[in-house]
Amino acid sequence: MKLFGIFFAAFLINNILLMRFLALCSFFGVSTNIGTSVGMCFSVIFVMTLSSAVSWAAYYFLLVPFHVEFLRTAVFILTISSLVQFLELYLKKMIPTLYRSMGIYLPLITTNCAILGAAFLAIDYQYNFLETMFYSIGVSSGFALAMILFAYIRDKMAIAPIPKWFQGYPIAFITAALMSLSFLGFSGMFGL
Amino acid sequence: MLILISVIMLGALGFLFAGLLGLAADYFRVEEDPRIASVLAVLPGANCGACGMAGCRDYAEKVVLGQAAATACSACGAKGAAIISEIMGVGCGEVERKVAVVHCGAKGEQRKKKGNYSGVKTCMAVTLVDGGGLACTYGCLGYGDCLAICPFGAIEMREGLAFIDPEKCTGCGKCVSACPRKIISLRPYDFKVAIACSSRDSGAVVRKICPVGCIGCKLCVKQVADVFKVTDNLASIDYAKTGIACGPAVEKCPTKCIVTSD
Repeated sequence: MKLFGIFFAAFLINNILLMRFLALCSFFGVSTNIGTSVGMCFSVIFVMTLSSAVSWAAYYFLLVPFHVEFLRTAVFILTISSLVQFLELYLKKMIPTLYRSMGIYLPLITTNCAILGAAFLAIDYQYNFLETMFYSIGVSSGFALAMILFAYIRDKMAIAPIPKWFQGYPIAFITAALMSLSFLGFSGMFGL
Repeated sequence: MLILISVIMLGALGFLFAGLLGLAADYFRVEEDPRIASVLAVLPGANCGACGMAGCRDYAEKVVLGQAAATACSACGAKGAAIISEIMGVGCGEVERKVAVVHCGAKGEQRKKKGNYSGVKTCMAVTLVDGGGLACTYGCLGYGDCLAICPFGAIEMREGLAFIDPEKCTGCGKCVSACPRKIISLRPYDFKVAIACSSRDSGAVVRKICPVGCIGCKLCVKQVADVFKVTDNLASIDYAKTGIACGPAVEKCPTKCIVTSD
């Protein structure tokens, strides 16, 4: 039950994009194209889950025993970047079709603040390994939800009669802000 | 002490990961046929999809694997096809250069309207509402779907009519599929004559609507019978009949709807 609560809180109530305002650069950059957005979302789910697991392990097996918890920023970045690089090499050789469909997003999301943010937050909430897994899947699903919703809205906005000075990013930011307001309605749900 | 541990830990991790990645890069190296790179260099890189593959990279890979013809890319021209054939070591057949042409000639004041249109300004959207207020139900709508899709910038709008520059056009065919009225077609580059009308309305109706439309009078057929043909009140050219002078037909056409490009 607690695991579901963790997932739901990460997915909807504390949505990483619309409530915590992380990973906005890729959010605005990639959401112009629906197909690209979907590919990006799959990459994010995959990478975030993997990197949260590895970061959690690095924190509790490397940093805590030596009492160097303050190194977590540097160590997490090192670990996550190397992991994603390794993943890219592996995919390119072993599963070329998968590489062609989602591999191009891997360098883009290596340094995405949401990836690092999810790892940090999982440590801050003092989750165990299983809880970290549910948490990171929840965060990345929340990212996917917000991203795909926004991509469809932007697709409609392309043919809408928007005033000249609002076209492009201004109206995109205003729309995202309105989406964020609506997601605020979820806070306090189930006492989470 | 703490500083020492931090430095050692970060340094060790750094070296460890760098070493692992170096080994991985070697182990997972993907050998690529160098011919792919040389074919890619010849291709225009516009990813227009005219060859039927998913972009230039895909086509280059398939050519080297022998799964695609060396002449499939119309955008790189006869010269490019010859170079690709040479890279692949196969003989190259004759590649005929084709360019697109819009079969409509009404510009500016000639484009008679029967109503006002206010809505989404794309040709595709306008066709859904009965031609957007233009009197001719066959002609160019002028909102530039073809212009938007051309990867080579060969199309421009002149007084509300789409015009394709035969020098810039590579014959990829994207505009042909983009036009919702289907009035763009490919003609051989060397055959520089085309009928600038697509109206199948009878002559009397066309006279009321458009000063430069084809009225199906068959004067062109009388002049140059082999090349010109009139079906459904519309003249057409048989582009297979090369080497015949079409000048007389161009001069005799009463509405000047047969155009040449020099």
